[in-house]
Amino acid sequence: MIRHIARKEFTDVLRDGRFRWSSILVGALLLVSLAHGWDQTRKARQEHAAAQATAREHWDTQGEKNPHSAAHYGIYAFKPRLALSFVDEGVDPYTGTSVWLEAHRQNDFLLRPAQDATAAQRIGALTAAQVLQHLLPLLIILLTFGAFAGERERGTLRQLLATGIGRRELAAGKALGIAGALSLLLAPAALVGAAALVVANPGPAASPLARAAVLAGVYLAYFTAFLALSLAVSAWARSARTALVVLLTVWVVNGLVAPRVAVDLSKRLHPTPSALEFARTVEQEMATGVEGIPRPDRDESTRRLLAEYGVESVEDLPINAVGVYLQESEEFGNRIFDRNYGALWDAFERQGVVHETLAVAAPLLAVRTLSMGLAGTDVEQHRHFASAAETYRRDLMRRMNGDMTENSLTGDFTYTVGAEVWEAVPPLQYAAPTLGWVLGNRGLSLAVLGTWLAGAILAAAVRVRRAEVG
Amino acid sequence: MAARTILRNEWRLLMADRPLKIVLGLFVILLGYALTNGVLWLRFQERTVEATRTGNAERIHAFEQELEAIENGAEPSSPFADPRSPLVLGGPSGSHTAVLEPGPLTALAVGQSDLLPYYYDVNVYTNESSFQQNGEVENPLNLMVGRFDLAFVVVYLLPLLVLALSFNVLSEEREQGTLALTLSQPVSARTVVTVKLAFRALLVAGMVLAVSLLGATATGGFGSPGRVLLWSATIVTYALFWFVLAAWVNTLRRSSAWNATVLVGAWLVLVVVLPAAINAAASLLHPLPSRVEMITAQREASNDAVNRRSELLARYLEDHPEMAEGVVADEPGLGALSWAATDAVNRRLEEVTAEHDARRDEQIALVRRYRFLSPAILAQEALLDAAGTGDARFADFQFQVRTFAEQWREFFVPAILAGEQMSARVLHDLPRFRPRDEEPTEVARRATVPLAALGGLLVLVSAGAGIGLGRVRGAD
Repeated sequence: MIRHIARKEFTDVLRDGRFRWSSILVGALLLVSLAHGWDQTRKARQEHAAAQATAREHWDTQGEKNPHSAAHYGIYAFKPRLALSFVDEGVDPYTGTSVWLEAHRQNDFLLRPAQDATAAQRIGALTAAQVLQHLLPLLIILLTFGAFAGERERGTLRQLLATGIGRRELAAGKALGIAGALSLLLAPAALVGAAALVVANPGPAASPLARAAVLAGVYLAYFTAFLALSLAVSAWARSARTALVVLLTVWVVNGLVAPRVAVDLSKRLHPTPSALEFARTVEQEMATGVEGIPRPDRDESTRRLLAEYGVESVEDLPINAVGVYLQESEEFGNRIFDRNYGALWDAFERQGVVHETLAVAAPLLAVRTLSMGLAGTDVEQHRHFASAAETYRRDLMRRMNGDMTENSLTGDFTYTVGAEVWEAVPPLQYAAPTLGWVLGNRGLSLAVLGTWLAGAILAAAVRVRRAEVG
Repeated sequence: MAARTILRNEWRLLMADRPLKIVLGLFVILLGYALTNGVLWLRFQERTVEATRTGNAERIHAFEQELEAIENGAEPSSPFADPRSPLVLGGPSGSHTAVLEPGPLTALAVGQSDLLPYYYDVNVYTNESSFQQNGEVENPLNLMVGRFDLAFVVVYLLPLLVLALSFNVLSEEREQGTLALTLSQPVSARTVVTVKLAFRALLVAGMVLAVSLLGATATGGFGSPGRVLLWSATIVTYALFWFVLAAWVNTLRRSSAWNATVLVGAWLVLVVVLPAAINAAASLLHPLPSRVEMITAQREASNDAVNRRSELLARYLEDHPEMAEGVVADEPGLGALSWAATDAVNRRLEEVTAEHDARRDEQIALVRRYRFLSPAILAQEALLDAAGTGDARFADFQFQVRTFAEQWREFFVPAILAGEQMSARVLHDLPRFRPRDEEPTEVARRATVPLAALGGLLVLVSAGAGIGLGRVRGAD
C-alpha cells in the first residue's frame, strides 16, 4: 500500500508544473554553483601551490647573508584549500590567504578576497552549500505543505482513510514519493559532485572521500528533517494556506533571521578587542613583558652563559651570545603571541559555539557549521593552518638563531652563510585535519542536528496520528 | 470623503486583527534589536577613533619630552631609537594614525565598516603593501553572515511584511463577495486599493522611518540631513515597490493563495536568488585579479632593490633633485642608501598595484551593471551610501591616506637623504591627517543612480498596477 501511495505522490509531483519549474531552477543553480566552485577551487589551488613554490625559491636563492638577516627576510606561507571546498567556500573569502613568517613577530593573515569585492557581493554568494541549505528546504516545503492539509481541504483525506490505510502508512508513502521526486534532482547533483571531487584529484590527505560521504549524510539528515517537519505541519494545520504560512515563517527564521541574530548575540556575549587595542596590547607586552612572562635581559643572559662555560668575557665564549639572546627574545615573544592570539581565537571559538547553540532554533546553523567543517573552510581549520604556519615560523627562527649561535662568535657581524643552510630548512608541510578531528570539534552541531531529525520525525508521527479528517 | 471612510474601516480592521498586530509587534522588536546592534557597533568604532587620537597625541608628547631631554644633554634611550633621526621620528615608532570617522548613519547600516580598514598607521615606510591590511578584528564567521542591522531588516524582511499586509488587498474582497458591494459605492477600484495600500504603507514605512530617525537622533546622524533624507527616500521607494507589486498581482484576478505564492516567489527571486546568481555570474565572467601574485611581485621588487642599492640612490637623486639638497651622491650615508632601496620597492609596488587595481576596477564596473536586475541590491547600495558605510567612502579615505603618506614622506625624506638630525621644533610642523568627508552633493550624485533605478522599477510596476486596476470590475 505504501508503494502505491508513494508512486501516486511521485507521479503527482512530477506532473506538477510548479515542481518542474522550481526543480529546474534549483537544479540549474546547483549545477552552476558546483561548476563555478570547482573551477575557483582548482584555480586557487594551482595559484597557491605556485605561490608557495615561488616563496620557497625566494628563500633558497636569497644569497649569502647572516642567518638572522635571513630570519628577517622570512618566507611567505599560503593557505592551501581542500578539494572539497568547492562545495562550500565557507569563511574563506573573509580570512586572509597568506601570512609572512618573519623574525620577532607573528603576523596576521592578509589578503581577504572579500575586501576586493563590493558590498553587493556580500549579500549572497552562490555556492552549492547555499543552494542546499536555503533553496532545497524551500522546495521541500512547497512540495509537502499540501500533503495532508490539501487532501483534507479537497475532502479526499476521508476517502483515502476509508480504504483502510493507516495514517502513518499514508504519511510514509507521501514522504517516500516526495523524496523520490527530490532524488531525481539530488542524486545526479551528488554524482556530479562526487565525480568533480575525484577529478580534482584531492590525494589521500585530510580524508576527502570520507569527508564527502559524511557531508552527503549531513545534508540528507537536514532534508529529511525538513520533510518530516513539513509533513507534521501539514497534518496539524487546518488549511493548506496556514501550513504554507507557518512553514515559510520557519524558513525565513531558519535561513535569514537566526543566522544574523547569532552574529550580534555572539559578539555581545563574547566581545573581541578592536584591532587597535589588540595591536597596542601586543606591542606593549612585547616591550615590558607581563607577569609570569618577563622580558629576557641581555646582560643576565650573557652572565649566565659566562658562568655556564666558565669564561671571563664574551670573546672567550665558543658560541655567539647574541644568537642565544635572539632566541630567548624569540621565545619570550612566542609566549606573548600565544597568550594574545590564543585568547582571540578562543573568543572566536566561543562565538562559534553561540552560533551552534542557536541551531536549536534553526537547524541551518548546525548544518552550516558541519558543512564548512567538512569542506575544510571553517574558522577552526583556518586556525589549524595558522597554528601550523606559526609552528613552522618558530622552527625556522630556532634554526637560524641556532646556526648563528653555534657557527659564529659574539660580535662577529661578518658571518654569512649561503644556500646550503637555506636549503636544509624543510619546506612547510601542512597536514590538514582528518575527519575525526573535524567531527570531534563538531559534537554540538551533530547532536543538535540529530535532535532536529529525531524531533521532526517524532512530531510528524504524532501529528499524523492525530490529524483531523475533515 | 470616500477615502476617509476606507481609512476608518482599515483602522478598525487592523485593530480587530490579532495575528496582524502580533506580526507588527514582532517587526517593531526586530527593528529595535537591529538599531541596538547598530548603535553598539557605532560606539565601538567611536571608541577606537578616540583611541587613535590619544595615541597620536601621546606619541608626539613622548618624543617632545625625549628630544628636550636630549637637547639638555641626556642620551637617547637606544641608539636605534634616537628620536633625532628622521627614520625614527617619521618611522614606525613615530607613526601618525590616519583615521576615518564612522559614517554618519553607521548605527543604521554597518555595511562594509566591519570589513574595510578605517585607520592606517602612516610613516615614511607606508607604501602600497601597507594598504593590504585587515580591518577591524572580527570573527570571519560573523563577517560571512553579516550583521543584523536596520539595512538588513529593510532589504530582506520589510518586503515580506509588506507582502503579508497586501497580498490579498483585492482578492480577499472578491473571495468574501464584498468587492461588488464596495464598488457599487461611488468609488473606483483604483481609489479603494490606493487608499488601502497607502494606509498600510504609512504604517510600515512610518515604523521603519520612526526607528531610523530615532537612531539618527540618538547618534548625531542629523548632522548630515541629506543622508537622512536619502535613507528615508530609499526606504519609501523600496517599500512602495513591494506594495505596488502586490497591487498589480491582485489585479490579475486570481485567488489569495495564488497571489501569496507568486509574491513570495517574486521576493525569493528578486531578493535571494538573483543577487546570488548575479554574483556568481559576475565572478565567472569577470573574475577579480588575484592578490597572491602581488605578493610575489612585491617580494621580487624588494630583492632586486636591495641588491642594487647604490645604483638606485644615484637614480633616485636624479629623479628627485629637490630631495638631494646637501647630499653628495658619491658618499651616501647608510640612511640614504637604504632609502633609495625603499623608494625603488615603493615604485615597483605602485606599478604592480596600479595594474591590479585597474583590472579590479574594470571588473567591478562590469559587475555593477547587473545590479539593475535586483531591487534588493539597488536598495542596499543606496542605503549604504546614505549611511556612509559603502565601498566608495572607504575608497575615498584610502585615497586621502595615500596623499597624506606622500606629505609625510616629503617632510622627512630630505633629512633622511642628508643624514640630518631633527629637533623638538619640527614636532609642531609635522603633517597632520585632516580627513575631508564626502560632500553631500557627491553622495547625492552617487546615490542618484541606484535610487533612480529603484524609482524606475517602481514606475514600471505602478504602470502595470494602474492599468490592471482600471480593469477591475465589481462583477468579477
